[in-house]
Formats: sequence, structure tokens, C-alpha cells
Amino acid sequence: MAFREYKIGCWMFGIALSFSMTVTIFLPSIDISSMSSTKEALEKQLTYGWESGFNYYDPFLQGKDKPIKVILNKDPMTGEAIDETAAYVFPAGTHFPNGLTHDNILGDDVQKASVELGKIDQASEEAGAVFLVQTTEDDVPYIENATATRGWQVDAVLNAAEQKIYAGAGKTMFIREGCWWCHTLLPEQTQDWQTFGRPPLVGDFNGESPTTFGSDRKAPDLLHVGSRNSSREWMTMHFFNPRLVQPHSIMPRYDYLWGDKDANGNPIDLEAWDREYLEYAKGNRVYPPEVPEPAPDSEARKLIDFVLNLK
Amino acid sequence: MAWTLRRPLHTLTTEDENQRAKDLWEGESLGGIAENNNPLPRPVIGLLLLTYFTAMAITFPLYGQRPTAAIYADYVALLNSEPVQEVINDTSLPYNERNDKAMAMIEDALAHFDSKYTFQREQHPISMDQLKIIAPQIVELQTAGVDLEEYIVVGPEVIKSNFFNIQPDGTVIAKQPWWDKGYTVACWWFIVFCLSVIIAVKRLPPFTWRPDHSIAH
Amino acid sequence: MLKYLFAKEEDIPQGTAAVFFAVSSIAWFIIGTGLGSFNAAKLAFPDFFHGSYALQFGHMRQVHVHAVIFGWIAMAFAASMMYITPALGNTKLWSEKLGVWNCLLYNVGLCLALALLWSGVTSGREYSDHIWPIDLYIAFVMVLPWALNVWMTILNRRTQGIYTTNWFFGACMFMTVIVFLIGNLPEWFHLTGLNEAYMTWWFAHNILGLLITPVAAAITYYIVPKITGNPLYSHRVGHLHFWSIVVFYSTPAAHHLMSSPLPEWLKSFASVEGVLILVPAIAYVCNILLTMQGKWAMFVENIEIKFTITGVLLAIPLNMQGGFQQTRAINWYIHGTGWIVAHAHLALLGFSTFAEAAAVYYGLQVLLRRKLYSSSLANFHFWMLLIGFSLYWVSMTIAGLIQGAAKIYEVPYMDVVIGEHPYMVVRWLGGTMVFFGNIVWLYNMVMTARAGTPVPAGRQPAEVAYTR
Repeated sequence: MAFREYKIGCWMFGIALSFSMTVTIFLPSIDISSMSSTKEALEKQLTYGWESGFNYYDPFLQGKDKPIKVILNKDPMTGEAIDETAAYVFPAGTHFPNGLTHDNILGDDVQKASVELGKIDQASEEAGAVFLVQTTEDDVPYIENATATRGWQVDAVLNAAEQKIYAGAGKTMFIREGCWWCHTLLPEQTQDWQTFGRPPLVGDFNGESPTTFGSDRKAPDLLHVGSRNSSREWMTMHFFNPRLVQPHSIMPRYDYLWGDKDANGNPIDLEAWDREYLEYAKGNRVYPPEVPEPAPDSEARKLIDFVLNLK
Repeated sequence: MAWTLRRPLHTLTTEDENQRAKDLWEGESLGGIAENNNPLPRPVIGLLLLTYFTAMAITFPLYGQRPTAAIYADYVALLNSEPVQEVINDTSLPYNERNDKAMAMIEDALAHFDSKYTFQREQHPISMDQLKIIAPQIVELQTAGVDLEEYIVVGPEVIKSNFFNIQPDGTVIAKQPWWDKGYTVACWWFIVFCLSVIIAVKRLPPFTWRPDHSIAH
Repeated sequence: MLKYLFAKEEDIPQGTAAVFFAVSSIAWFIIGTGLGSFNAAKLAFPDFFHGSYALQFGHMRQVHVHAVIFGWIAMAFAASMMYITPALGNTKLWSEKLGVWNCLLYNVGLCLALALLWSGVTSGREYSDHIWPIDLYIAFVMVLPWALNVWMTILNRRTQGIYTTNWFFGACMFMTVIVFLIGNLPEWFHLTGLNEAYMTWWFAHNILGLLITPVAAAITYYIVPKITGNPLYSHRVGHLHFWSIVVFYSTPAAHHLMSSPLPEWLKSFASVEGVLILVPAIAYVCNILLTMQGKWAMFVENIEIKFTITGVLLAIPLNMQGGFQQTRAINWYIHGTGWIVAHAHLALLGFSTFAEAAAVYYGLQVLLRRKLYSSSLANFHFWMLLIGFSLYWVSMTIAGLIQGAAKIYEVPYMDVVIGEHPYMVVRWLGGTMVFFGNIVWLYNMVMTARAGTPVPAGRQPAEVAYTR
């Protein structure tokens, strides 16, 4: 390339950029895509559904198109007592995560077990389905389509549920409200595990979107927060006004996620609550005003479910 | 274009081409801006070479390594030995004292043997409580006959940590971050870059030539 | 502006698009830094604006980021390109009309994009927060026409040569389009898992490294020789800078995820390349500072050179941080802390903002053919920016070191929040200074258009004396 010889320059530029993209996109994607799902990845996919950020089925991030995680203590068909089981209910029309619809997400062994033992190929989005996460004798995790293998129907499972966990819709709230701008979901591989628990491993993310690692940590990591603090009362107070339980917290209040009515159907008056709280903060009251219990269909309930479900 | 081996750093273009380049260089005003033909100052070349060697040296993963399960294998063996178990089960002493005494016995015993893990053990000291939690997991792995260096200790768990240095046939190339194909690619990347840029600038008129900016400006 | 939308191409005065982009960029700079100052207040005093639920921190943070990146930085780039590219080719802009439409649709699109982010409609991916319909709009309505104007102007130049600045402008617009389309693959094709996480950061790294840093550098390649009258120190060092940007700066994306379970070889490669970003940095700083030989008095006397050279000097700590903070040896300490926030502001509010502010100051004077209204106000703006930024950078760096120490010594997180509080207050003060400085700037530029001393044809604004 001589002085002002631009044709060769353009070729060199194109070649350099293509090389760069081959090494930084193509080669890593082969390695990353060849990793099998871990059990965590299966649970996450089934909990969070297809997509938690903006998508066609939930354009305003209201927590639509999401599965419901339920805890069962009895068989929904027979009513017999069983060991506590987590089932993932996809009501009719709910979109399945990529792992159920694409062959290359779960990893070879997991995919094989999920089809042969779990019959996931028989599940359909139109009819809805109930899934379980199981492990083979060889320690390979797989997804079981309980609607096909056990005849568990969506309505029966929801009726028999001991507890309903709206963690899927909660993750949508987590993204919409920008929780991940301060709370990461990535304990670091080098130092963090003493405080924040096990760093995620390579197969822990298959099928999850978005992963919302977060990068700018102004608050504790939340990947295992449900193991550190499993108190729903504490979480409820903390979301309503973090200063009630952590006087120095800089977290915003999320009291507006409670909506208009609390769990008992009483209207929520945030301004009145603030006035009473101000009295308390000034020292004119001994106790802060009572935090209303979030209604079962409120956004606060979903977000709290999501956080408590991060084990 | 021909490389004169006797003068490897000399311009790679013929005299005619150089003359054309010089005329172009001096005869044209790009929005009123002119360009000189200076080389990189020598100290800056030194700085660039230093940057490259620093890049290799500082990115090499000598730091921040995580403790493998292997460095605690001897701790576990000693923990399960009879004298240490006696101390741990000695209910006449308070819990903490028992722990401290047992740990002191283990460390004393380890100090008498050479081990390739001595350095890592100093880097990653362990408490008796944590040792008790990971001990059964390490014993289990030993029974299974796996290589403990492929496992790391993360809090209360012993986890397989080797994912990317295993060939499809199961051969293990490395157990910790070490020399990997990333460094190999990085070396070639730098070499090819240097060659390309040297060839590109060597096709310019030699840097001893100073353009005369009074012609076009 | 509106009267030119449907005017004939030949009826639109040269430089119209650049002026519109420049004025928009200053307006967005005020909005963006205002939002930043507001967010910083929230971090210092969380209940300060309690009750205004529309102003929640979690909804506002990304609006600040995208207002400054797409509003201020990118539009100041567009303004610079639309007058510098034709000037260096001794020609006129390929299409002023396209430029004017581009500016209008850019502003409209940005308002829409920020409104959606504000209301929480997001893809949940940092730096590519915009939802995919907005991504399409950005790529094909905001960026591609702008790029087209730049490329076509370069192709239609009336010189044989292309000056270094224009290599960067043309190549960076190309890389930006490519990075935008490939970096958003997870959204176009619903990629999931680690691929999605990695592509998010591939996008974020490359949009910063292949657009913002090199274009800011390219602007200084124009401003410094043009205003000082010195020839560029070295054409061949320009080569080294350009090629090392393409080869080294486009590769270290994985260093943003050093603590995640990406392939180790990818981290090793990214990390080596990450240190090698010092190669373009050294070549660039050396080239510009040596161009200043004999004209250092202008660093004090001339406002554009003052801004530009301050930016170039800030590029030194910027690249030293950027090169070394991502290595395994250092990253474990400062990853995810305020240190990184300080570093990001050093790149955007330090280096590139100072370079662009110079280009906008100079461009508006040249295009309006008016001497800057007041040198005192410009100096006031400079010092508000520099002191405000320095307060911000120092306080966030200290806060980051506190967080890093707390991370390895397992300090309860609450104590970190308490320890950081004074630095959060200083950060707010610094950001607010930048905000007020920018309001003064807008006033100064409006007054320049209205009451600045006319610059005679054939003269440089720098050759005309200030009256205020």
C-alpha cells in the first residue's frame, strides 16, 4: 500500500475487521454453544419463560406471557401426598423458552433425556403444559413434560398448588424497574463467593434472555439472595420503604408497585402513609406505620416472589 | 515492491513511485492542512515494545487463582486421622479450642512434608468449620477417582471448574487458567499487525525526506 | 430548520446540517447532564424527590446514558463530520437536505427512544437497552443516512488524498453500522444465555471503542493542525494509530466479563488485546502533542485548543486505566465498582466531550462566520466542565476503591453504602457544575449567532480579536 492508495487500504481494513469478528464472535460462540445446560439453567428457563425484556407478547413489560412456578405437596391427579415438588405451569398460549423449542440449547445429553424420558416434544404452547426438572441415574438433568408423562393438566396443578410463585413475571418487573442497574446477578469468580455465594457456572444460563448480569454494583449481588434472606415480611417492608429495615439504604422506594388495593381489599393511601412515616422519622411516633400486604395480583408480589426465588 | 535485504528498513517503493508520492504530498492542500513525514520518536518505539511485553506479562494468570480441592486433600486425610478425631471429639474442651487445637495439629503435620501445594495453601487458608463442610465432598471425589485439581472450593461447595481445556475425547489440557489458545492467537495477532503496518509505512517515501509545505499552502 | 426541509438542495446554505446538529447536540448535552445530576442526587439522597414516581432512579439512569451518548456525543460527532469531511475534501457536503432531514428524524427518534426507556420499555441489555424496533430506527434512519452523507462526501472529494481525519470518519461510520447490526443479533434472533450476555458486551465495547474514542481522536487531528497552522506531525504515525484501532480496539470485548464463566482463552486473548489499546493511544497522543510544537501558547490563549489539548491529555490516564484495569491482576479488585463509573466518565465526559466541545465551538464560529460572543463565558464553561468532571472522577474513583476493598475484606454491604455517602454528594456537585456550565455554553452560542463579531471571508475565527 503506497501513499494514498486507497483500494488496498479498504481491502486491508475489511480483512482486519473480518478477522477480528471471527476471533471474537464466531470462535467463542462455538465454545459457548457447545455447553450443556445445568440443572439451574433448566429451572431458570422454566421459571422465566421465553423472554423477560421487551417482546411482542409483552411490549410494555407487564409480566404477561409468563409461566407460574408452583409448589406441590400432593399429586394433582389423585390427591395422594407426594414429596414437595416444584412444577412449572405454562397456561395455554404461554410461549416456551428456547430450550423447549430449539434442539441445540439444552446440550446433547440433556436434550436426549428430555425427549426420551421427559417427552418434551409432545408439549404444545396452544394447549399449555406442566413441566418438572428431573435428574437421570447418570446425573444428567432433564425436563419432564408432566402433562404427557403423568397426565397433569394446567388447571389441576394450579388448583392443587400449595404455593404459587410468580417469579417469571417478577423478573419482568426486575428488568422494567431497573433493579439490575445496582444489583448484579453475577457473583464474581475470584473474590465474591464468600459474601454472595457460588459464582454461576458456564451452563447456568442456557436459554435465559436477558441474563441481566449488571455491571455497576451499587448494592449487594442478588443471585443467591433467597438463600441469605428468605423472610417475605422483611422483603415486603424493604420494597415498600428500604429505610424501614436498613436506615442507611439508598434504594428507591417501590411502594407504587403495590397498586390501589392491598391484600385485604383496603385502598392504599401512599400520601397518608408518608405523612405518618415522616412523623416516625422525626421521632414523634414510636413505630412506623404498618406496611400493607401486597395483593396477590400486584406487581410488588411478583417482584418479591422473584427475589425470594433466587436461591 | 522489493525488499532490499541490505537495507531492511529502507523504503519499499521504487524511485519513480516515490517521486510521484512526493509530488502529490507537496502539491495538494487538504482543507488547508499539511502533513509531515516524521518517524515515531525512538523513545516512543521503546514504549510500544514495553507495552507489548507488559501486555503479555500482566495478563498472564499468576494472580487471583482459586483454591483447587487438591490443596486440601492432605488436610482432609489428617482431619480423618485418629489423633485429630480424638481432639475434635474431646468434649471436655470448648468447641473453639478443640477446633484450634485440631487445626494446629494438622498444620504442624503438614509443615513436616514437602508439598507442591505449600504456596497455594498459604494463599488460601481454611478454617476448621469450612474444612469439616468440604471434607466429605473431597472424600467422595477421591473415592470416585477424579483429579482433584479440576475442582475448586467455593464457599461450602466443591465444584468442578474445568470446562474449556478438555478435548472432545476427554483429554485434559490444563486445569487452571494458564497458557491457552487465547495467548497463541494474541501472539500471532501482534506479529501480523506489526508486519502489515511496517509494510504499509515502508511503502511511503523514506522518513528522512521532509515535504515542502510552501508549494501548495 | 423547517424551511429547509422542502427546499431545493442548491438553496440550502452550506453547513446548515452541521449547524442544526451542533445546536441539537448542545441542547442534548444540557438535558443529558441535567438528568445525570438528578440521578446523582438520588444516589446521595434517595428520598429527595420521593413522590414523583415518574422520576424513579431505575427508569432514569439509562435515559441519562442514552441522552449523553446518542444526544450529545453522537450528534456532536455528526455536526463535526458534516463540516469537517467536506472541508478536508475541498468540496461541499454530499447532501445538505439529507443532513437536515437526518437531524430532524434523529431528534424525533431520540425523543421517542428516551421516552420508551423512561417508561421502562427496555430490552434489559446494558448499552443496547433500546427495544428492537427502535434499534432498527436508529440503524436505518438515524445512523445510515448520516454515514451515507459522510461516505459520499469522501467519494466526491476534489482532492486525490484523504486526510487522516476522514479515514477515521469513513471507517468508524462503517464499523458503527456493522457493530450495531451484529451487536443486536440477540434481539433480532432471540439468542439466549451466555451468547446473549457476551454479545451485549461485544456491542457495548465496540460501540464505544470503534465510534466514540476514534472519532473524538479524528476530530482533534483536524482541530489542532487547522487552528495552530502546524502540519500534522506525522502521516505514518497516523497509520499506526488507525490500523491499531481497527486491529486491537475491536477485539477485547470479553474483558467486560472477566469474572463470568466465559471461555478462559477468550478472556486471555481479550485481556492481552485490552492492554494493546495502549498502542493506538501512544501513537495518537504522541502525534497530536508533537504537532503542537512551537504553538503551546495557544493552549492558554485559544479556547478550542484549550479544550482539545485538555481532551488529549485526559486520553493518557484514560488509556492507562483502560489498558490495565481489565487484566486478571487488577480486574478482580475494581470490577463492578464506582471505579468503572469514573473510568466511563473519563472516556465520555473527559476525553471525548472536550474534543467535541472544541469541534462544536470552532464549527459554529466558522459556519456562522461569527467570532465567539464571549471568551470569558467560554473560559467559565471550560473550568466548570474541567472542575466538575475532576470532582466527579476523583470522588467516584475513591468510592470504587472503597467498594473494592470492602469486596475482598468481606465488609457488610451496608457499611460500604455509608462509607460512600460523602463521595456520592461530591459526585452530585461535580455533575451539577457540568450541567450549569453547559447552560452558559448554550447562551454563549446563541449570543454568538446573534451578536458575534463577523469574521471576514478568508480569515480564521482565531485571527479575530475577542470583544468580550
